Amino acid sequence: MATTLRLYLTCIRNTLEAAMCLQNFPCQEVERHNKPEVELKTSPELLLNPVLICRNEAEKCLIETSINSIRISLKVKQADELENILAKKFLRFLSMRAESFQVLRRKPVQGYDISFLITNYHCEDMHKHKLIDFIVQFMEDIDKEISELKLSVNTRGRLVATEFLKQFI
Amino acid sequence: MAAVAIHQFAQCITCHAWSPDQSMVAFCPNNHEVHIYKLFGEKWERVHLLQKHDQIVSGIDWSIRSNKIVTVSHDRNSYVWNQEASEWVPTLVILRLNRAALCVQWSPKENKFAVGSGAKTVCICYYEKENNWWVSKLIRKKHNSSVTSVAWHPNNILLATTSTDGKCRVFSTFIKGVDSRESGASSSSNLKFGEQIAQLDLSFTWAFGVSWSPSGNTLAYAGHNSMIYFIEDVGSSPSAQNVALRDLPLRDILFVSEKLVIGVGFDCNPMVFTADETGLWSFVKFLDEKKIAPSSSKYGSQFSEAFGKLYGQSKPAINSDTVESSRPRGGAHENCISCIVPLRKPGDTIVRRFSTSGLDGKVVIWELDNSI
Repeated sequence: MATTLRLYLTCIRNTLEAAMCLQNFPCQEVERHNKPEVELKTSPELLLNPVLICRNEAEKCLIETSINSIRISLKVKQADELENILAKKFLRFLSMRAESFQVLRRKPVQGYDISFLITNYHCEDMHKHKLIDFIVQFMEDIDKEISELKLSVNTRGRLVATEFLKQFI
Repeated sequence: MAAVAIHQFAQCITCHAWSPDQSMVAFCPNNHEVHIYKLFGEKWERVHLLQKHDQIVSGIDWSIRSNKIVTVSHDRNSYVWNQEASEWVPTLVILRLNRAALCVQWSPKENKFAVGSGAKTVCICYYEKENNWWVSKLIRKKHNSSVTSVAWHPNNILLATTSTDGKCRVFSTFIKGVDSRESGASSSSNLKFGEQIAQLDLSFTWAFGVSWSPSGNTLAYAGHNSMIYFIEDVGSSPSAQNVALRDLPLRDILFVSEKLVIGVGFDCNPMVFTADETGLWSFVKFLDEKKIAPSSSKYGSQFSEAFGKLYGQSKPAINSDTVESSRPRGGAHENCISCIVPLRKPGDTIVRRFSTSGLDGKVVIWELDNSI
């Protein structure tokens, strides 16, 4: 792992550790409702200042916190068009299966590639440090996954081209 | 100084309360029920199940002298449970709330109780003999957000509240016919019901967990910005002290004595605060630490924690022992502690034992030794 990536992930991990202090909190506006405040944004006093952590222009992480939920939005590195399309397809594949990931949001926040929504219910069922580990691990793996995909696409392209061009020899 | 007993009762506990003789514990396992467990020999067994609410129960308090349980829930209702023969009989309290009730506490004389709510109001409930029901009087339009915690002054008149608008307020709750004029201190008994005595605007963000010292001279509350605030002489000339924490914010606090405060919260480990002779408050230590680290080695442990974070994923075995000291994982609680209750025998003036419960479903009993 590159040093800069490590620093970036450590920064995110520490921020998440401090931000993930959630509790059960019923809605103040609607009777008998209990919804993630970070999504509804009905009462401004229940939201904290969002934190934006950037590694560079292409890679950033937005952490929005409220009293009973936290939303983490990621933008992953897309150096060229191929990476762009691979990231888009891959994250779409994950988002479509958001239910089985529990903390994944079906649609990313605008301007980001993928979003997580962690509520107080997740913190009750799961260990906080495991949740943070999951997010950080995800960020670590996503870059690896996309560069691997890119490699295999390139290899396949080269193979196909070689096979195709053989007939002209 | 350690946890005396650890009991795993449920998956997750929102709040708990002890019976007057401390043989029974009532808690909410993060749903609409209240379970009452009793200790038989070595084993805890469930003796009662209180089912009346239809949403999560957010607050329980068990009165010491009158042996009544009051419960409040997110379904906007409150019940007072009275033991008749072997059954607990509920009485509905008409709170007149249109949002969730969040916290409840019996007054010291147990003739009233206060309910904080998400409707930005506080209900003071008292028993009316003629009608045989609990009547609620509301303090309206004083809070700008949900009331997260309430605490009674020992004089039975003053009530402190904390709210998610970041303020801590003190009200008079004098009710004609319930409180007598001479019952409270002379200055506080002239006040009308619902009159605001003080508004403390120290925290920039949500405030939780308010508590009065046994004499009622000092008030303490916690802010979500990892601060704890101590206010002396609230009535006449308040003077405040802020103590900033190095760790995660607190959820609830408890005055053990005039000079000793225990705070619990997201660090999963109770913190001890004390005041010195000059009245200066400071953080002393975590309760759950095996050995008390000298202050100079704090930096060392901080460094090794950062080190552990960097390498912890790949080589957990190497630095598990160094990370342990600052990570709450090995302690009595494994998740956020949301509730701290004193274990006070009737007639006792000092609290030596208290219990904590948290989102990990454990109730832990702590005993203070004489060193602090």
